[in-house]
Amino acid sequence: MTLALKPDHVTVRMYNVGFGDCFLLAFPGEGKTRKVLIDCGSHSAGRGPRAMDEVVGDIIGDVTDSDDVARIDIVIGTHRHQDHVSGFDDERWGKVRVGEVWMPWTEDPRDAEGRRIRETQSRTARHLALASAALAAAAPSASANALSALADNQLTNAAAMKTLHQGFRPLDQDRRVRRVFLPYRDRPANSFEPRLLEGVAVHAMGPSRDPAVIRDMDPPIGQSYLRFAGSGTKREEQTPPFAPRWRVDSTAFEANFGQLRITDNELRAIDNLDAVDYLAVAVALEKAVNGTSLMLMFETPRSFLLFPGDAQWGTWNAAIEDEEWSSLLERTTLYKIGHHGSHNATPRRFLETLVAPRSSPEGALLDDFAALVSTRPIRMWKQIPKRELLKRMGELTEHVARSDKGSSAPAFFSTDRNRTVDTFLPM
Amino acid sequence: MSTPPNPTVPAANRIEPPIRRPLKMYAFDPMLGRAPFSTLTVEVANEPLQPGPAGARVRVVDYDGGSRCFYEPVDLDDPALLMQGGLEPTESDPRFHQQMVYAVASKVLENFDRALGWRITFTGGRPLTLFPHAFRGPNAFYDPEARAIRFGYFAADRTSPGANLPGQNVFTCLSHDVIAHEMTHAIVDRLRHFFLEPSNRDVLAFHEGFSDIVSIFQHFTFRGVLRDTIATTRGDLRSPTPLVELASQFGHATGSGQALRSALDQGGEPDPRLYDTVFEPHERGSILVAAVFDAFFTSYQARIADLLRIATGGTGTLPEGDLHPDLVNRIAGEAALAAQSILNMCIRAFEYLPPIDITYGDYLRALVTADYDLVADSGLAQRRAMIEAFRLRGIYPEGVVSLAEDSLLWPRPEQPLEPLPERVVGAILHRQTQTFRRRHPGLEAVGEGEETLREEASRKYEAASEVDPRREGAKAFHAWALRNSGALGLDPDETIAVEGFHSTFRVAPDGQLQIEIVAQFCQTDESRKDEFGGIPARGGTTVIAAADGSVRFVIAKPLPSRVLNSDQARLAAARLASQRDYLDVWDRDDALLPWADERYERTRMSRRDFRALHMAIPR
Repeated sequence: MTLALKPDHVTVRMYNVGFGDCFLLAFPGEGKTRKVLIDCGSHSAGRGPRAMDEVVGDIIGDVTDSDDVARIDIVIGTHRHQDHVSGFDDERWGKVRVGEVWMPWTEDPRDAEGRRIRETQSRTARHLALASAALAAAAPSASANALSALADNQLTNAAAMKTLHQGFRPLDQDRRVRRVFLPYRDRPANSFEPRLLEGVAVHAMGPSRDPAVIRDMDPPIGQSYLRFAGSGTKREEQTPPFAPRWRVDSTAFEANFGQLRITDNELRAIDNLDAVDYLAVAVALEKAVNGTSLMLMFETPRSFLLFPGDAQWGTWNAAIEDEEWSSLLERTTLYKIGHHGSHNATPRRFLETLVAPRSSPEGALLDDFAALVSTRPIRMWKQIPKRELLKRMGELTEHVARSDKGSSAPAFFSTDRNRTVDTFLPM
Repeated sequence: MSTPPNPTVPAANRIEPPIRRPLKMYAFDPMLGRAPFSTLTVEVANEPLQPGPAGARVRVVDYDGGSRCFYEPVDLDDPALLMQGGLEPTESDPRFHQQMVYAVASKVLENFDRALGWRITFTGGRPLTLFPHAFRGPNAFYDPEARAIRFGYFAADRTSPGANLPGQNVFTCLSHDVIAHEMTHAIVDRLRHFFLEPSNRDVLAFHEGFSDIVSIFQHFTFRGVLRDTIATTRGDLRSPTPLVELASQFGHATGSGQALRSALDQGGEPDPRLYDTVFEPHERGSILVAAVFDAFFTSYQARIADLLRIATGGTGTLPEGDLHPDLVNRIAGEAALAAQSILNMCIRAFEYLPPIDITYGDYLRALVTADYDLVADSGLAQRRAMIEAFRLRGIYPEGVVSLAEDSLLWPRPEQPLEPLPERVVGAILHRQTQTFRRRHPGLEAVGEGEETLREEASRKYEAASEVDPRREGAKAFHAWALRNSGALGLDPDETIAVEGFHSTFRVAPDGQLQIEIVAQFCQTDESRKDEFGGIPARGGTTVIAAADGSVRFVIAKPLPSRVLNSDQARLAAARLASQRDYLDVWDRDDALLPWADERYERTRMSRRDFRALHMAIPR
């Protein structure tokens, strides 16, 4: 395997997948290195410098042991967005030996609530995709493109999800690949030492089943608009509300009922009211699926690695409100910046009340805090990554690296030609 | 009553037009499938109506943007309709829809007129426009730019149509609660325009919650609505659950049913943590609704206690079988009276609100002060119930030392203040009294010189309510505010805007006429607009004065300035800090923020859009 290792250190390799997430963690262990893969996906609107199948080839190479067998102890799919799972749609994974696959509880086929959430999200995604395709075909434009790009990210990548749910070869011949859905219902069970990661404590902080968190996973009710608009029924085909005899010709109406006159502008505004704001639907759905993100912390004797996926406020808030989680968050030494560096995936409360107060004297740079952001600017989404957030990170620590600017990462990291950024943290 | 009086009849013998106009409507939203044929007759103030209906304050324009056509407007002054209280309720005739929208909207206006003690008119004296079938979609909203309310209609789901036929059209304009809710948004916007600016976590929630309060309690004032519920839940008269369920069915139509039900403390005690953790405007609004509902229920229980004693021979245990219909009627009657009393109290409080940046705590203080002012003794129990209901939900006003009634009252001026300018006060009162000369405000326009009279009448209302056309009033009030800026918490170095002034005439239970002058002043600091997401920092003061111009209450939410003492300065600074903090709350739920451009970011708080707000209602 070509993954660089350092004695007594955890390696975190961030692959440059463009706008997406893909991290390989290697924990040193007695006689063998334990490997964890967190996500493998790239956004269709923000590809990286290398095609996804090349990156997958790199990963498989990186996890191939001296006996020429590719092994990953634990594969984690934080949530079912294209930019986190698209890479799993690749038949080469069928040869990779995997011990366990971790996914959020919303992926559990036996969980009724999870099924409900998945179905609601998929239904909305399908309608959205149809509508956005129709819009783009009717009138190609920048905004139609932006909408399709957002819509595409929502579409369940069936083949990729099938790999996570059913694929891979078992790590042990006599065992099956175990699927684990986190967090568990039982709160105390969510801090555990995985069988395959001896010496590492994992804290499954979210998404909890708290109603406030679940609410984040439901596209708002107004999106039921799609039921009507997305069904593809044309105006002329919809049942008119009243019999034709009640209609009054507009000229006659104006002539006879001066007291009811409305301006042309107002008339046009009303005519446009039934237009569905697909962008609003798309961003709400995007946020809802992000809300299902697994939020995990890996605790070793000397490091605390926080991988929140694309968790939204509900999940963060539940973790911060939990005393035990909160005291762990406070000790984070490596932070995978949420949602490619967007404004509302890294709560101010986490940075300002849990992390920043660690600096001593006040305002001094933190030496034991590093941050990784896997991102790539896309012209139509100028606010990701958020400049102010990265600036604030830079004020907290010098150890900040971007996947798309690997070669200019500070010396704290080690990089390979804009392809990967490696971080070494004490085990 | 558009028929001109017969000139051959001597004026003294003419028949006075009736004061009230009966109109039929659905008692329950047909969308709910609940008692689908249940209808009731509502009585609204009689005014001359043109086809639409088009009256002095609202007009119904039936343009259907979904089908791109106009529908025949109803003429409620048609003698055939006058004789039968309007059209019979039906879903298939758009004219009935127009009638129902007009009836409910008028009823809401009337409830405000009565509780406030003056007749509301919309800005510019122009009527508010109601579009009963504006678009296809399960939504209805008030559009502040167009000063219009737009109701949507939609096809029931083909696979799970609920109580409707698959694919059948469902109309939001046939729901009393949707109409009343949207109408209240429009009136609140008329009375306090700045309440559309989300300057703290309570402002939009207040808009939503208050609109739900008006729609629920107005609905409760129709005793027929309550009769069934009371008769069928006979054993449960001391439990709020049946009424809560009824109320959340109302809410369901406006989309806030679920939140309403949970906020109405289902299955237990009110949760004071909600006030600190729930921010989505509808859900947060439900906390306010729950508090008011609680006070209503206490007051209703007190009102029916004697009836229950009589009915049970003092045992408190009702006999088996159906309740006596007379008892049901009496209980329903008391419930309706309790609802009207709560509704009046909630609306009356409006005069005692600051012009800007409202919090639930401000509203509690306004409720207590307004009620104390009018019904000091007889309202005591209801006020206590209200204070207790707010306390149980963790709602405490800023800067008060206790929840005792006298510390919740808005402060009276510390030193006697210069009275409001006498000449202007006199003019305002004079104009207002003129509107009382006739028995039927709004009906003067009958007969000869119709147009002139109508115009004159509306000018009168307008002058007395808001804008003095000669601007003299505004000038005099401005000069007065400048001279007294210190006591009003206004910064004399910055522009003071006179937001409005009017008089109110109310009759207290002891028969006394209570006359007050209300004036509002505002100040705006644009310098931090970008930091606040596109809305400025505002300060403002509401002044309540007696008929002689002597100032009784000063309700101030100042901007930081040199005239403030240290306590006031601290509160002013804290207020701006919380406006900044609220941005974070807003952002973390804003799904669009990561994907939008910088312009959106700079203006995101100023996008006052009820349509979007309604679409974002959580499941």
